[in-house]
Amino acid sequence: MPPTQADLVWMWWIPLLPLIGSAVCGILHLLTLRSRGAWAHKAGGHGHGHDHGHDDAGHADHDHASVEAGIGALAYPVAVLAMAVSFVLALAAVVQLGSLSDIAVSIEGPAWQWIDTGVFPIDISIVIDRLSAVMVLIVTGVGLLIHVYAGGYMKGDPGFAKFFAYLNLFVFAMLMLVLSSNLVGLFVGWEGVGLCSYLLIGFWYEKGWPAEAGQKAFVMNRIGDACFLVGSFLLVHLFGTLDLSDIAGSVAGKLSSDPGAQFELLIAGLCLFGGACGKSAQFPLFTWLPDAMAGPTPVSALIHAATMVTAGVYLLVRLNPLFAANPTLMFVIACVGALTAFIAGTTALVQRDIKKVLAYSTVSQLGYMFLALGTGAFASAIFHLATHAFFKALLFLGAGSVIHGMHHEQDMHKMGNLRRYMPQTFLTFVVGAAALSGLPLMSGFFSKDEILAHTFARGGGYYALWLIGIVTAALTAFYTWRMVALTFFGPERFDKAKFQPHESSSLMTLPLLVLAALAILGGALSFPAVFPAFLQPEYMHDWLRPVTEPGVELLGAAHPLPHSTEWILLALGALVALVFAHTAFHRFKHGPQTDLATFERSPLRARFLSEAWGIDALYTRFVVGPVRVLGLVVAALIDGTLIDGFVNGAAQAALSGGMRLRRMTSGSIATYGLWMGAVTALIAILLVWNR
Amino acid sequence: MSVPPSHLFVVAALLFSIGAAGFFLRRNVIVVLMCIELMLNAANLSFLAASRMHTLAHGGQPDLQGPIFALFVIVIAAVEAAVGLALVIALYRNKQTVSLDEVAELKD
Amino acid sequence: MANLIFYVMALVAVVAALGVVSARNPMMSILALLTSFFALATIYLLAGFQTLAAVQILVYAGAILVLFLFVIMLLNLADVKPLARIDLVLFHERKAIWTMLVAGSLLGIGAFVALQAVPVVAASAPALPDQGIDGLQALADAMFSRYLLPFEAVSVLLLATAVAVLVLAKRKRGGAR
Repeated sequence: MPPTQADLVWMWWIPLLPLIGSAVCGILHLLTLRSRGAWAHKAGGHGHGHDHGHDDAGHADHDHASVEAGIGALAYPVAVLAMAVSFVLALAAVVQLGSLSDIAVSIEGPAWQWIDTGVFPIDISIVIDRLSAVMVLIVTGVGLLIHVYAGGYMKGDPGFAKFFAYLNLFVFAMLMLVLSSNLVGLFVGWEGVGLCSYLLIGFWYEKGWPAEAGQKAFVMNRIGDACFLVGSFLLVHLFGTLDLSDIAGSVAGKLSSDPGAQFELLIAGLCLFGGACGKSAQFPLFTWLPDAMAGPTPVSALIHAATMVTAGVYLLVRLNPLFAANPTLMFVIACVGALTAFIAGTTALVQRDIKKVLAYSTVSQLGYMFLALGTGAFASAIFHLATHAFFKALLFLGAGSVIHGMHHEQDMHKMGNLRRYMPQTFLTFVVGAAALSGLPLMSGFFSKDEILAHTFARGGGYYALWLIGIVTAALTAFYTWRMVALTFFGPERFDKAKFQPHESSSLMTLPLLVLAALAILGGALSFPAVFPAFLQPEYMHDWLRPVTEPGVELLGAAHPLPHSTEWILLALGALVALVFAHTAFHRFKHGPQTDLATFERSPLRARFLSEAWGIDALYTRFVVGPVRVLGLVVAALIDGTLIDGFVNGAAQAALSGGMRLRRMTSGSIATYGLWMGAVTALIAILLVWNR
Repeated sequence: MSVPPSHLFVVAALLFSIGAAGFFLRRNVIVVLMCIELMLNAANLSFLAASRMHTLAHGGQPDLQGPIFALFVIVIAAVEAAVGLALVIALYRNKQTVSLDEVAELKD
Repeated sequence: MANLIFYVMALVAVVAALGVVSARNPMMSILALLTSFFALATIYLLAGFQTLAAVQILVYAGAILVLFLFVIMLLNLADVKPLARIDLVLFHERKAIWTMLVAGSLLGIGAFVALQAVPVVAASAPALPDQGIDGLQALADAMFSRYLLPFEAVSVLLLATAVAVLVLAKRKRGGAR
């Protein structure tokens, strides 16, 4: 039983500090609007000067003129401070957790009863256990770095304070998601991150398409949320509680006592998996993530790489026995993950927008995580989640730096040779690319290899999935180094007369450096089992064992691979990565001619790939189209004819009735008298009748 | 007299309905006022009939509520007739008519 | 015998009422009303209400009807000639039908209640007190003890009425006739 310690109120500051920070930033934003007068935040502000000490005459991703932040500039230190203290507290909590003996594996924060349903109570309570420790460190740590970065990136934006308000709010929601001890609190965080994602994607809604992208993300998430809710209803029905550890602990008992429950568990697991697909952009609910690149790059880094999209993975690991109870379901999850990884990988090959490459790459890597989940390698999924957070955030922030220095140019075909102009960005970006592509000894190498090894070890149908995985690894390496080559090498394809690319401020490059270090060193979290013991291999696995054990037991551990096979797989992974990285680099280091040639040779295939196999078009044609038509029909028929008719008809009836009644006011006293007499007679009749 | 009180009430009812009919039908304002007096008389008759009924029921103990009320009704009727006729005079002075048809001033 | 007189007087009252309603000349209406009042006074007397019969004649027939008469004469409505122009008994068929309906239902209710709901008294009526039901002494006693307040109120009302009539019927200063 976890020890509930009364003096752990300070744990609540971890999620609450960002919330307070968000509120303060919001107030600062309102004050800024007031001081600017007329609540206008169109381009140009109201003649405020451009006298920044820093070098940004224009912003990536949008073409607002620079606006002085005024009092809103306070939002930056407020937000960063909130994140920093939250991170420190999280660190302290994890240290305290780590000091506990193996038996006690979680610290519970004080709880408030929210709703008493009569069957079971719904509390607001947070728990830090082995799993949420990992998550909370990632969220606050990487979040802190991104907050620091965003101060430089968003400088001059009219909505500076608003941005940090949203960002802090998001962190709060994400923390509630990972820290909550029951499904309801988790769902509150789940919805909260969806909301913040919507707000932040559409941050520059004046441009039009970001608003649509935000809406698309939200609606797709909603589909997943519906599945999530159905799943949680089923869980209540099955277990009579929504407490996460209780549910996870009761699955085994339920299975043994009631074999028929396996089907119900399957359905519940399927529903929750559906919810995870929506949030983590798995096939078929992934088309929102590339569109989400319309938001500012720090948003893409934080929400759509490191944290929000990993919520689905977290959910599955948290309730791993539920899914492990059905081997069929596990295979389905693995298949969906592998398929997603492959589709996204092929799509990333032909993207011209640097952010889109990274977006599809994220979808692909998330697919890897789900593949890991499907093989029962829950700890591996979390490990990959962590390393991915490091190097993907690094890559996104680097891309932001590039875009920032290129004066909002995002098309790689128009870049080139940027390593001369942005050395720090270049170096850190290369580190991130190395990690992503799985070059040996980088963090990404270890995490990806672990996943593939586990997949291989499962055998049977999983061999096919392993094959897809290794092919996707090749694709990953290829598109990653294509991206690097096109951006930083080759001839300069931009107009040097118009502008000069420049390195970004230290506010932006410092986080890049920290993340680069993490991307290199992150592999130490879980060296492969075949490594010598002094390196403490599979540390992450040991750390997470209390959480993942029930699921692994239920599923049945895979046959451990012989050491030789593992070394072969390691070598194979390294080889594939190196070969394809080299090929891509050399093919593209002189410019995008290969791309253009490919497009010319088979434009149809190029289009098919670049639009994610046409899935988005499919949705537009078969889902959005009919829904829109339905909406028009309903608006015309029900709203126009029925409701308007009813309301207007009522008004008309009142009018005409009134006009008819008006004729009664003839002024003829005798008529009035007659009416009075008639009513009197009526009353008299009624009185007599009722005797 | 041993007429059952119900017959007295019937007479009152008759008088009242005739007065009502005249009140609705006649155009001359003064005649309308007269019909009102007729109705009031019918009411008086009802009061007295009831009083008689009670008196007989209580073995000769006179019930004075009926006559007292009837007395007041008569006074009120006088007052009302006076004021009504004053109004008629004022009306005639302004409109040169006492026909209800021509005084539809309340018309919308 | 008294019963016979009652029924005759009742008939007279009703016929006279019809006359009030249907007479062309307002003067005729007044005379018919007078007849009705007298008949009613007789009925009151027969029923044992002496004082009230007297009051009926004094006030109703002697004051109110005279007032009506004055006004009719004042407005020269007694002339025969303008009659046909001024007054018609029935002017709308529809109005007449509705009136019959309303008045008829009032009558019906009244008769129904009278005949059904009023308890029947013994055939042989017990003797009424010497002075009748409303002997003057008894009436005065009641009026000045129990019903003093309404009495006073009515006297105020009469005062107010006098004032009101004066104001209403007054000729405008220097205005139209």
